[in-house]
Amino acid sequence: MFRFLTKLDYLLRETLLGLRRGGWMNWAAISTVTVLLFLFGTGLQASWQLEGLLNQVGSQLEVSAYLETGVDGAMLKPVIERFPEAEVVKSISKEEAWASLVKDLGISDLKDASRQLEGNPLVDELKVRAKSSASVPILAKKLKNLQGVEDVQYVDEAVKRIAQLDRGLNWLSLMITGLLTVTTIAVISTTIRLIVMARRREIEVMQLVGATSSWIYFPFILQGIVFGVVGATIAWGLIQAVGQFLQNLLAQQPEFVQFLAAEGSLRPINSIALPLILLGFGGSVGLLGSLLAVRRFATR
Amino acid sequence: MPQVLTDASGNAQRDRQSPSKPVDNIIQLQSVSKTYRNGSQALIDVNLEVKRGDFLFVTGPSGSGKSTFLKLLYGEECASQGEVKVDNDFPAKLRGDRLSLLRRRIGIVFQDYKLIPRRTVTENVSFVLWAQGYTRKEINRRLPAALKMVGLQHKAECFPEELSGGEQQRVSIARAIVGTPPLLLADEPTGNLDPDNSWQVIKILKKLNQIGITVIVTTHDESLIRLSNHPVVQIRNGRLSSVNY
Repeated sequence: MFRFLTKLDYLLRETLLGLRRGGWMNWAAISTVTVLLFLFGTGLQASWQLEGLLNQVGSQLEVSAYLETGVDGAMLKPVIERFPEAEVVKSISKEEAWASLVKDLGISDLKDASRQLEGNPLVDELKVRAKSSASVPILAKKLKNLQGVEDVQYVDEAVKRIAQLDRGLNWLSLMITGLLTVTTIAVISTTIRLIVMARRREIEVMQLVGATSSWIYFPFILQGIVFGVVGATIAWGLIQAVGQFLQNLLAQQPEFVQFLAAEGSLRPINSIALPLILLGFGGSVGLLGSLLAVRRFATR
Repeated sequence: MPQVLTDASGNAQRDRQSPSKPVDNIIQLQSVSKTYRNGSQALIDVNLEVKRGDFLFVTGPSGSGKSTFLKLLYGEECASQGEVKVDNDFPAKLRGDRLSLLRRRIGIVFQDYKLIPRRTVTENVSFVLWAQGYTRKEINRRLPAALKMVGLQHKAECFPEELSGGEQQRVSIARAIVGTPPLLLADEPTGNLDPDNSWQVIKILKKLNQIGITVIVTTHDESLIRLSNHPVVQIRNGRLSSVNY
């Protein structure tokens, strides 16, 4: 334990010294990491938000079948449950639907409302959840052809568009992230190499006095990781700031846009996962860049 | 006393080893030759034994192979032929961490001091101990003693550029001995110094030898060799022979 602390003392001191000496080179590396992680984080966040929107709207896997007047939903339910595309079937009786509608409309007296319309004007409804989004149209067609079903409704076009957008965004962010990752590793590697070169005299002396390669080069590797972690922290801060700015902007938008934004907001788990992913990614990129830089020197 | 067995010309010159006593050589070179890639022959069939506690001068003109001889000892170069043994290890066969561990048992002093410019005297000396994984407490214990040995306690917080050449070389010696190695190699330690500073450095090296450290010094300053009264071997055109002054 004591020996470990001694090592830690030395490694942290050498890493800090290296960072102090690095000067503007540190910022070259950190800003590249920041740009990479900002774009990566924004892409990831947008993708999560779109997926959230899909899940919320989606209900996108749900097909609503409105039955003809007088047809009992409970009778059709077992038939639909046997469809291979159907996962869950939920029957909503016209009474339940009517009560819910009346409540939504803000009418307090259910009986009075029914009397005015000469009875419940609604029909029984079956909500059928499809096993996959691909099977939604097939399921809808089958339901439509079923005897006793008046009409079938499902959110199709909008969901398809959002899904397409999500896929497109994923590909775009994957490509940008890939390209920027390579660039960042190259910049970190070059920065560390320049720092190693600037300190080659010290390294030469260290080698002559019997310091092991890992002892000499570990501070440089730590330095690379620091670049990654600092870059990740700044990127996360920027993402938060941009998010805040957009939220303020949304507050002045029409209600529908606000609704969409609210549906697509990040889940709490994702809010925690984002900084962790950024830190992990930043640290890994820093580690890889510095390992590549010192590998040449250490294996000489 | 060093024992020059033979050189290529067959000069068997020094053998003061008692045959009945077990040999405790800290350095042993057997038929060692070194040819660089460009074809230049730095050492030719060198045989040498140095006992623990010896003080040996290695002299010879510039480019005669003195530095190569030292580099073979601390594993910076490998012999093209023959065998080099240092403190019961073969530097040429060691790589990575094992070579580092051998180097911890060898203190090295260079003609150009090799001090780190942006570190104080204290940092330059303690740096060796940090590099070897010593604790802060142990470093604080060893540092004053090493600086006292070279008479630089009062310059502990100075940077190398604030010191004279002689003082810088003394820092370099402090750095070489702070890890208490059994062997000290000094490559032209007086090469850049005036006679007074040179003699001061030699006196420090003699003092270190008196406390049991084996010291090998390369120099081409014959007046120093005469003054110090220690055994001398000469390297000339890559061949080693002993010399009497």
